[in-house]
Amino acid sequence: MKPLPPASMHLVLALLDGELHGYALMRRVEELSDGSVRMGAGTLYGTINRLLADGLIVETTDRADRSDDDERRRYYELTANGRAVALDELARLQAIVHKVGRHLPRIAPA
Amino acid sequence: MRAYRALLRLYPRSFRSEYGDDMVLLLRQQLRDENVARVAARAAVDLAITVPVRHLEVHMNRTATTALVITFGALGAALAVVGGPIGLVAAFALFALAVVTWRRNRPVVAAGDGRWWKLLLGGAGLLATLIVVTTITGELPSGGWYIAMATMLTSFGLIGAGIVLGIAGRIGTRAA
Repeated sequence: MKPLPPASMHLVLALLDGELHGYALMRRVEELSDGSVRMGAGTLYGTINRLLADGLIVETTDRADRSDDDERRRYYELTANGRAVALDELARLQAIVHKVGRHLPRIAPA
Repeated sequence: MRAYRALLRLYPRSFRSEYGDDMVLLLRQQLRDENVARVAARAAVDLAITVPVRHLEVHMNRTATTALVITFGALGAALAVVGGPIGLVAAFALFALAVVTWRRNRPVVAAGDGRWWKLLLGGAGLLATLIVVTTITGELPSGGWYIAMATMLTSFGLIGAGIVLGIAGRIGTRAA
């Protein structure tokens, strides 16, 4: 499977924990990347738009707990296919880290 | 905030109408939690990068979809005219395919915005002109046959696309 573009990859990985609204999603990506990935609104919603079109995420409408929430917020969650793609991405990244880790002693300077 | 809302007008209309309010809300939340100057700088960079990208995406989507719809429409119309009963069935299938293609990849311009009848009239006008010209001139000169065929196919394409967009527009209006 073709790897996802970086912004899409960050969003699907951030959604593995469950549904999030736009701002929370942006903060989650920032948190998961230790502050190195900071998406602007245009990047965030452009990527959300693409993931919706690709069927990897959906907008959730039937949240059980709406207390203490701004009803203008739109929440997004992974579809079954989106979750599978996110887990594939995770496995791909882990494989890269694992492979590089195995080869590192040989290429590291003495 | 007013300036940001004004700058959002730089995005394609479809993107802005879908996500504009969310983007304003997001910026408001950022301003509540972070340094104003940093948020403003990041928003400016984000706008500079993503406005052209969103326009490019919309343009590519529109061009590809329109080309596909016109191709299906032209083939369908040509088959309906020259293909006999089987051609009619094939034309119906191609029109259905074109409607589905348009509905699935609908670009910025909504299907029911009135463009369909312009295409239909344009195609019919072109076909009528061709018929009148060939009737008046009688025998086509060498090379004229190719021009006549190209004109006929173009008119079929326009008529087919007009029919497809008209049907898709009616379905879309009813669904909405």
